Amino acid sequence: MQKVLSNKLAIFLFVFPGILLFALTFLAPIVLSFYYSFTDTLGPGTKLTMIGFENYKQLLLHDSRFWRSLLNAVLLGLGFIILQHPVCILFAILLDRLGGKAEKIFRTIFFIPCVISVVVISRMWLNLMDPSFGMVNKLLDIVGLSSWKHAWLGDTSTALISLLFILIWSGFGWGLLFYYSGIKGIPEDLYEAAHLDGASGIKLHWKITVPLLSPVIAVQVTLAMITALKQMETVFLTTNGGPGDATQFLGVYLYNKAFSASQYGYANAIAILFIIVCLVATYLSNRFIPSENA
Amino acid sequence: MNMKITYRKVNLITTFVLMVGILAACGSDNTKEDSQSTGNKENKSVTLRLFSNQPDRKSGQGLAEQMVVDNYMKENPNVKIEVEAVGDEPFRNKQKAYMASNEPIDITMVHSGADLNTLIQAKFVTELNPKDYEGQNYNFFDGAFKSFTFDGKLYGLPRNSDYEIIYYNKKLFSDNGVKVPTTFNELIDAAKTFRSKDITPMSTNGKELWTFGLLFQDFAQRVNGDPNAILDAVDQKKSFTEDDSFLQTAKLMKQFMDVKMFQDAYMTADYGSSQNLFTQGKAAMWYMGSWEAGMASNEKLSADFRNNLGVMRVPLVEDGKGKATDLLAWNGGGYALTTSSIHPEEAKKFFDYMMRADQWAKAAWDTGAAVPAQKYQLTGKESEVQKQLTDILNNGTSMPGASFIDFGTPGFKDDVQNALGKFFAGTATSEQLIADFQAAAAKQKK
Repeated sequence: MQKVLSNKLAIFLFVFPGILLFALTFLAPIVLSFYYSFTDTLGPGTKLTMIGFENYKQLLLHDSRFWRSLLNAVLLGLGFIILQHPVCILFAILLDRLGGKAEKIFRTIFFIPCVISVVVISRMWLNLMDPSFGMVNKLLDIVGLSSWKHAWLGDTSTALISLLFILIWSGFGWGLLFYYSGIKGIPEDLYEAAHLDGASGIKLHWKITVPLLSPVIAVQVTLAMITALKQMETVFLTTNGGPGDATQFLGVYLYNKAFSASQYGYANAIAILFIIVCLVATYLSNRFIPSENA
Repeated sequence: MNMKITYRKVNLITTFVLMVGILAACGSDNTKEDSQSTGNKENKSVTLRLFSNQPDRKSGQGLAEQMVVDNYMKENPNVKIEVEAVGDEPFRNKQKAYMASNEPIDITMVHSGADLNTLIQAKFVTELNPKDYEGQNYNFFDGAFKSFTFDGKLYGLPRNSDYEIIYYNKKLFSDNGVKVPTTFNELIDAAKTFRSKDITPMSTNGKELWTFGLLFQDFAQRVNGDPNAILDAVDQKKSFTEDDSFLQTAKLMKQFMDVKMFQDAYMTADYGSSQNLFTQGKAAMWYMGSWEAGMASNEKLSADFRNNLGVMRVPLVEDGKGKATDLLAWNGGGYALTTSSIHPEEAKKFFDYMMRADQWAKAAWDTGAAVPAQKYQLTGKESEVQKQLTDILNNGTSMPGASFIDFGTPGFKDDVQNALGKFFAGTATSEQLIADFQAAAAKQKK
């Protein structure tokens, strides 16, 4: 067996199917996309004219909708990092300290949004935020804040923030789960030692839990940025990028350009820039967020 | 030693053969199995695939379509027709995916204009001979092929005469003492009265944006009295910005927003939810097309609603040049044969059968699903709504024959819809809307 594995031909044969699969499902589409991005084709199978960097020029210099989509994605990413993750860490710590049956129950409750289908979540929030029969406005009525009532997803001034809220809410369980398992991996004796040294409360967690969670935080920040950039389904199912372009995201914009506007070449140029933006975001978050154990 | 080398070789060859086998199995083509022909030549059984945008097969146009399919299968027991039906928005996108992958569907519903143009450029739909569809068997109205003809070649047949009207709830109007509006100002007054009584004046599907395009075109026609003006502007024979009637129209649209004509969350409402609001009696009016005539006979809707369903013409603009009878009419939906069909001859036989005046047109009219694009016989059992619709069509004047958002490229449509989205969301002014229209039209002509 060892001899088979030391044979280069054998190694090649074993690795080849994996590489082939990777090449066909990842590299080939990217290469094809790259090729299409230099054309003005309406869709696969239609007339194809090479137009050089025209699509990229249009996108980068004249397409405010593209920049709006990117800005919204970055805002969502920041929303994840600044709002969602600290709350996730806080709840993970509280959950860990809770112990017993209650810990299990709450763990399940917090994870429920993650097992609900995106379609159901989108529909549910569309209904909850509906201005005429939605529960959000009804609650505002009950607590005497009728003046705050709003067409939450239908008004340009509140659509983005409402959508960010839905996305942060629906992704909360995943963040919590990661941090929770990270906290479970911190040895209890570290806390005991810190207690003996006089640390307690917030200080204890600030000095012990958070630094020891830094590898998890680093991965989570990267994932949050990527998730934000890739956001598509919930937006598509709730606002489809509207009203106006208030909630336009790269995924939805790309999809609509490719399939509704039949600007397939242009959509592929968006896809290529999309890949580049994702790679840069990953690089930056890996570069600037320390992931080593303190 | 020799033995060892042989053993190693056998091992390697076996591994390689296994991998090739696995990969080959992954790539096996099973698409043809779905619509395979079996049996002998005389009576071979054939499965045809019809791709439709009518998922409700029990009422409206879906029912009419299914009736024709069932009739054909009864007369041709060797033919089985599989219907794949999804709602209109997913339908449009899935159709593009089918076009890209050359999916072997046989007959497909098509949207005329920009969408059909893309299918033609991808060589996904078959050219038809217009002579095949002349005469008593078909009885198409004059000009019905306009939006299905490109460079003088016909690629599909229309299924309906589409025109925009306002459906309204008679009870809500009479209970609140509101006069059925015949002019723009009366429509605005009606909206104010309904709003003061906490009733949504008009429901619309703002999320999908195309209704705004039709609404704009409808009122532009009433302002300038020329149904072709907007189509000429799309073609850049004239400019959107230089013809003042378009800016005037945009200002009328702005008034709709100022009096809160539409439901509060109109920008997130899709077709279904806007229709529900109206059919549940929560909105007094619904600006939609003649293809919704089936509401009057749809038993899923409450009897109270059906009995109170009325149809009105789009109101006249007081100082405009248009006439009350001007109609925004065109042929939007239809059917086409695909080039990817595995049984093109059988598919054409069914297609020709389906489009006969005594099949689709009759089924659509008898079920009250739509107003056909072919001459149809009145049965005497028509609903009040159908009678009104026939009257509006027969007396219609100045019909443009095309919806302006579909009169250009798909890219133009996207740009125009985006401009409408910004305008109706309140983030663009009337002047900006018209400037955006002009930019979109100029861009597609480049």
